[in-house]
Amino acid sequence: MRLKFIGVRLLRGLLTLWFAVTVTFFLVRLLPGDPVLAVADPNMTEELRAKLLADFGLDQPLMVQYLDYLRQLVQGNLGMSFRQSLPVTEVLMERLPWTLILTMSAMVATVVIGIPLGVLAATKARGWADRLIQIGGITAQSLFVPSVGIFLLYTLGVLLGWFPIGGAIDPDATGFAATLSMLHHLVLPCLSLVLIQLGSYVLTMRSTLMEALGDDYVALAKAKGVRPSAVVWKHAVRNALLPTTTIAGIQLGMLFGGAVLTETIYAYPGIGRAIYEAVGQMDFPVLQGAFVLLAAAVVAANLLTDIAYGFLDPRVRTA
Amino acid sequence: MRRRAALTALAAAVIAGVAACAPSTPGSGGGSTGGSGGAAATADRLTIGTTADVVNFNPLVGNSRTDSWVTNLMYPHLTQMDETGKRIPYLATEWAYSKDGKTATVKLRDDMTWSDGKPVTAEDIVYTIDTVKKEKFGVVAGLITAYDKAEVVSPTEIEFKLTRPDGTFLHNIGFWMPIVPKHVFEKAPSVQKFANDKDWVSAGPYKLTKVERGQRYVMERVEKFGPAPSGTPGVKEIVFRVFPDVNTEVLALRNGDIDVIANVLPPATAVSLKGDSKIKMMEIPSLGWAHLQYNTKRKPLDDVRVRQALAHAVDYEAIRKIALQGFAKTSNSSVLTPSQPDYFDPTMKEYAFDVNKSKELLKQAGVTNLSLNMIYDQADPNIAKWAPMVRDSAKQAGIEIKLQGLERNTYIAKGSKRDFDIYAGSWAIMDNPPANMALAFKTGGFINYAQVEDPKLDDLIDQGQRALSPAEAKGPIQEAAKLIHEQVYDNVLYVETFNIAHSTKWTDFKPMPSELLSIVNPLSLAQAKPAP
Repeated sequence: MRLKFIGVRLLRGLLTLWFAVTVTFFLVRLLPGDPVLAVADPNMTEELRAKLLADFGLDQPLMVQYLDYLRQLVQGNLGMSFRQSLPVTEVLMERLPWTLILTMSAMVATVVIGIPLGVLAATKARGWADRLIQIGGITAQSLFVPSVGIFLLYTLGVLLGWFPIGGAIDPDATGFAATLSMLHHLVLPCLSLVLIQLGSYVLTMRSTLMEALGDDYVALAKAKGVRPSAVVWKHAVRNALLPTTTIAGIQLGMLFGGAVLTETIYAYPGIGRAIYEAVGQMDFPVLQGAFVLLAAAVVAANLLTDIAYGFLDPRVRTA
Repeated sequence: MRRRAALTALAAAVIAGVAACAPSTPGSGGGSTGGSGGAAATADRLTIGTTADVVNFNPLVGNSRTDSWVTNLMYPHLTQMDETGKRIPYLATEWAYSKDGKTATVKLRDDMTWSDGKPVTAEDIVYTIDTVKKEKFGVVAGLITAYDKAEVVSPTEIEFKLTRPDGTFLHNIGFWMPIVPKHVFEKAPSVQKFANDKDWVSAGPYKLTKVERGQRYVMERVEKFGPAPSGTPGVKEIVFRVFPDVNTEVLALRNGDIDVIANVLPPATAVSLKGDSKIKMMEIPSLGWAHLQYNTKRKPLDDVRVRQALAHAVDYEAIRKIALQGFAKTSNSSVLTPSQPDYFDPTMKEYAFDVNKSKELLKQAGVTNLSLNMIYDQADPNIAKWAPMVRDSAKQAGIEIKLQGLERNTYIAKGSKRDFDIYAGSWAIMDNPPANMALAFKTGGFINYAQVEDPKLDDLIDQGQRALSPAEAKGPIQEAAKLIHEQVYDNVLYVETFNIAHSTKWTDFKPMPSELLSIVNPLSLAQAKPAP
């Protein structure tokens, strides 16, 4: 039963990945412009243009290009970058660790800060703390990464001098100092991502917990004389966490989206920036490769969430 | 208690995980994190900000600004440019044409070596130009159409044979063609596909030692570099740091994280930095110009009176004062700008902003309800500002201009297909009027966006190209510029004054015209030093 459940989820994940790959493949080719123009002089001869198109494989019919790409992908080959004349895997693998560090730390920080804030708001419902948290949560949802980024860089970086302006690490630091430098550089971009995401966690946690606090089992626990904090954290929060877990899965995709802007503003060398650059350069293979990697990460995270859900809540497993 | 221990373990695991995920950390020698920070600058390291990564390390392929800045420090050119745009020696010491103009001779320095110890010889130059011709590399290929073959006279002398007299040939290859090592590049099956992304063999004042894409490019000086004024570049290490967002880049300069911003700053940013005592602004002239080109193959733009009507419906002074905040000069509506002192014609007059004259011209042409589209790159901060001004002033003359701000790649594609009524844009470098005019205005020219076909103009440009010196070329080229003005084959709006910023902790940069050279050209960086 359990194996069948995992198998079905795995199959669904692969199907999602194929769909994402297909949509991306055709979407990048809908971009207006000509990738050859991004590589060579716009006024190149027809001969050179034809040669470049053939080199890039763009002279083939679209379906042939698509099947070739799928064949390459199955073999783990993401192709060659048009502009950099390098394997896409090499281009992206250099960037991937930075994006993982940024997004994962932002996600952990959001959960660690968001859940207690949601609990505080729910348990002090309609009090001043609740109102403050709600206003903050709604405001955070409407924040725009570049504005937040420049504001944080100017105030905490230039004026107060607490954090470096852009970059990911001090090039001269080695050993443990390098790790500290990396964490130091991580604070502002991570904070930006946390700020734009926090609202949905806090507000979801607040509403689901308020609902849970009105349930019969909570009334029973209170009647049995369980301490109020234990009632909240041991009984109600556990049940209220399930919808928040769902949000975490959905937010992962948004987090990667936010990383494009965050990495650009903070000069952070991750995949988001590689996407930003590849769009400008019409480097289809890099764009496709980056989207495949990100889609695979989101699918894998959702798969793990599904499986974890299945173990935590038997109703899901048999559904 | 148990829960607290678990939480502590989780936190430790996250930190350890983050540390474990850390990409390999570089660990180059001394110096500060980035720029000079709060301390006085030392000649150990100069950090330069740029908004883009190097895309391709192959200097014959790479065509972005950062590609040029980095590879210009690695691969020498035959000549370089001084502040006035005049060619001065670099790898070449002397150059001349034969009397019939069909042979060009170049003599080279004998003290240049590639970083692997092999000498830079005439063979490298011949290999480079033959490769450019064979694989038809971008700009240079378009400029050497007169080139036939080259002969190595000695390791330090070359003779170029031309199919026709071309006085622009040496000028063009000297400036535009980076010289690559034959013994390295010839091993690649296709130079176009050669990434040149490691084990660089170079001969410029600096050699590339470390690349961290998305972050920085570290270059170390070559201790013995003949063309540097003192024989050795002044700064030990040059670091290019990448800031995709210009606002972050400016904050980094203000914070002392970088010492120089290589790219040109938008006028509004330049104005905001003028009061900062820690920053010095340098103004350099552009070698190009901003312009409107009218598609002469489309009706009614094929009628010169309509083009003149459009030219009289632009408020040039307002564009320079408001959109460019004064960082622009008039070129008197001439393609021979003040940045070209050898060719500049002071008798030219700018088209007057006169809507009545514009209306009258349209009436004469029998054109009513004129409605045209105008394409431009929406990411260009200057054009995005003045495009609405062009629309609004034309409206006063009863002309409707529909603005089409496009994404850059779409804009390039449309321009390349000549799919527009009005093309709003700018040329980055027009360094040699006879050669540039041939590309921009001769029938079938590579960048003849207005699709001009005028035999008289073709003839004048040909005369200019055949001339073997600027003095000889000046007459026909000025005539050609007058014709372009009368026929409004190009409507030059202004020549921008570029703003380049650097920390006051550094001095002695040698600014050169155009953003491509700026203050990060090899000669400038070879002599820059910390301020006393």
